[in-house]
Amino acid sequence: MKLVGFIIVCLTGGLLLYGTGELPAWGDPNSPASTHLSDDYITLALEQTEAPNLVTAVLADYRGFDTMFETAVVFCAGLACFLLLRDFRPKKDHYYRHVPTGVMLHVKNEARTVRTGREFEDMDREWVPSDTIIKTVCRILIPFIQIYALYVVAHGDFSPGGGFQGGVIFGSSLILLAISYNLKTLVKRVTEKFLGVFSSLGVLVYVGIGAIAMALGGNFLDYGKYAPIFGEHHIRALGMLGVEIGVGMAVTAVMVIIYINIVSEGRHDEGL
Amino acid sequence: MNIIDIIVAFLLVSGFIFFLGGAIGIIRMPDFYSRLHPAGKLDTLGIGAMVAGLAVYNLHHFSLTALLVSGKMLLIVFFVFMSSPTATHSIVDAGMRAGLRPWTRKEGANMEQSEPRKEEN
Repeated sequence: MKLVGFIIVCLTGGLLLYGTGELPAWGDPNSPASTHLSDDYITLALEQTEAPNLVTAVLADYRGFDTMFETAVVFCAGLACFLLLRDFRPKKDHYYRHVPTGVMLHVKNEARTVRTGREFEDMDREWVPSDTIIKTVCRILIPFIQIYALYVVAHGDFSPGGGFQGGVIFGSSLILLAISYNLKTLVKRVTEKFLGVFSSLGVLVYVGIGAIAMALGGNFLDYGKYAPIFGEHHIRALGMLGVEIGVGMAVTAVMVIIYINIVSEGRHDEGL
Repeated sequence: MNIIDIIVAFLLVSGFIFFLGGAIGIIRMPDFYSRLHPAGKLDTLGIGAMVAGLAVYNLHHFSLTALLVSGKMLLIVFFVFMSSPTATHSIVDAGMRAGLRPWTRKEGANMEQSEPRKEEN
């Protein structure tokens, strides 16, 4: 069976390599890819969309429909992770640390939970993150990372960036919180319900912008139809920004959902 | 050859020396912990000097935009200065928790793994 797989892989790889021989040369101006649409995008995009970043103009405007379903794919990834991994059975054992003395407490009886706060803090069974240096530095860094993420989202139509990148940066800042403190800290601040609502809200923002454009008498995702409400100036770039915000929300929430479900094996109590 | 060029050259060359030393150190040092030492130096002082040199170079044609770009570069240095030693620290911490014993001069001392360190608490 292994041999058959190996042969199939070799054949497919050989076929692909054979196919690359027919590809046009790198940057060939006469290749089919650069004779039909690319010229139009390069010459007309700034004029038509008023977004200086051509990549965003193509992704969020000319091919906005495609990007909408990319967002839906990201959402489905988070949903699949939740459905496959989530485990609602509570764990019986709890571990706490008495902060002043550093004594570890193992509570076996499920009913008696220790109230955490200034005196006791939650602890994981295996990994014991209590490092003041890491906590302090992460506490300083996380707000800056989040501001940078918002900057990336907001500048999607002017400079490199956009919803996917900004969302990933924002999500990773939340993951950093979970790594430097522990998973319970993150789950306490960013609840599961919030994540679920936020991720689907992101997709809804995208689809809603498209649908409202339709209600205003244009095509789906035709941002130009918002001109009566927001004014003529940079209206398509503004529409792209709205869409990017939706993408950023969905990606942020899905990143965190996937992380929490994988590291805690679906129990949302402890993990990396 | 004005004063700015001299400053830029000095910063770039000193950054280069730190990078070279760090790269040699990562290869030549005997074990995990001591290798992290040059790696941390490389990320803080090497990048710090290099990017500071570039930030000064950027101010050749002085304008508000150039100043803003240089300020962003120095912000990068600031964040690397803060995050890189922390990362090194946490890697060393993880190594100690996993029970990797630091290298000593004795023969074969670095080969055997000690018991995982017991928590103080």
